[in-house]
Amino acid sequence: MFTSPYGTIGPFFPPEFVTGCEDLTSFQGKQAKGQHILLTGRVVEEGDRPILNAIVEIWQPDANGVFRHSLDPRARDADPGFFGWGRARTDAEGRYTFRTVIPGVSRSDSVDAPRCPHLNLMILAIGLTRRLTTSVFFSERPESVHDPVLDCIADPAGRARLFARSNNSRNGAEGLPVYSFDIVTRGSYETPFFID
Amino acid sequence: MKEDILEISDIDYSPYQESTQLARYIKGYPRSFTRNPSQPLIRRPVTLTERTGPIGLEERLGITAEDISRATAGGPRALGQYIAVTGRIVDEDGAPLAGAMIETWQANAAGKYIHEFDRHEAPIDPNFTGLGRFVTDVEGRYRFLSIKPGAYPVTESDWWWRPPHIHFSIFGPSWMNRFVTQIFFPGEPLNEIDLLLNAVQDPEARDRLIFESTPTTVGVVNFLTFRRDFVLRGKQRTPALD
Repeated sequence: MFTSPYGTIGPFFPPEFVTGCEDLTSFQGKQAKGQHILLTGRVVEEGDRPILNAIVEIWQPDANGVFRHSLDPRARDADPGFFGWGRARTDAEGRYTFRTVIPGVSRSDSVDAPRCPHLNLMILAIGLTRRLTTSVFFSERPESVHDPVLDCIADPAGRARLFARSNNSRNGAEGLPVYSFDIVTRGSYETPFFID
Repeated sequence: MKEDILEISDIDYSPYQESTQLARYIKGYPRSFTRNPSQPLIRRPVTLTERTGPIGLEERLGITAEDISRATAGGPRALGQYIAVTGRIVDEDGAPLAGAMIETWQANAAGKYIHEFDRHEAPIDPNFTGLGRFVTDVEGRYRFLSIKPGAYPVTESDWWWRPPHIHFSIFGPSWMNRFVTQIFFPGEPLNEIDLLLNAVQDPEARDRLIFESTPTTVGVVNFLTFRRDFVLRGKQRTPALD
């Protein structure tokens, strides 16, 4: 059987389906372990124009690199205060913001190398008949990272664009470290996206 | 978390077949040309991070009543034609995907969404939110009651009216089969000119975007029943020949 055809999310995705999903730092009344951060960035299209009303979703392991999923051999140790999935909507500047934790090192049986800390990110918007998928990597020394997915990107500049940048600022009253990750869906500094 | 789903590591998440999908670039749909990446998409290995995905989402998001034809339980029914929508969610082997979260959103009978960007001058129905959240049962089945949505104009176009449709957002057990689409109603004249529905090359695949009509349930409470099954990506890996 072949897969059902994907469709565009269109302009009217309910805001009610987004409210509260930007914050991944607690689940069922428990606080997530690990370093809480703000992950924020702008989503732009050709000509550096902001994409308004795009839906951004993320999926990631907890601070120890464990996924809340039965396929993870370490699932039993998953942080009960961390669900791992979030959703945000871009504003008129194309900006999205998540509150989450820095993901830990996850392991996979299907490839030898442990994965560099990262989260998975997808974008849905008017004009896109399928989601766009990429990954956001965290490392203080991006040049020296070896990762089976990152190493698929031949262009060093494109590879560098997949690292979240810490600008050493902290956010207002909460004092959370801020990491930025801008996404260019089309343009001269295009974000690398994966085959889906 | 269920401990028994397992063996998903043997699942093959091959890329979508292009002929069964909507074109990425669609003439008359300008944003498809300014938003799709110009660079080729990159092939990557599928590791644990892509094989896993959010499961048990109802614990985080909650679900709605099965009957979304009313804004509140026991409240008055929304205007429009009462319908039931049913179907199954399976993978490419036809195996049911149990516990899959489904989100639906749709216009009311007048073709109006409750949304800040809906500028169509049509009335909001106080008895209709248009939102649903459901979870599939062990057979992968879902069912909800609603009203048939109306058609509405694309405000920046001088000819394009969207045919009646319901939006679906589905979470399979893996990040690889996170799925979003729009499903149309059979026999609608506007179906023939819709840019999105007709962006699928393969006619059999196009039919997968349209509900099937099924017999009505006879009785005092009578509604037309529309069925749509979904096939999400993922099949058992064929053993290698070496």
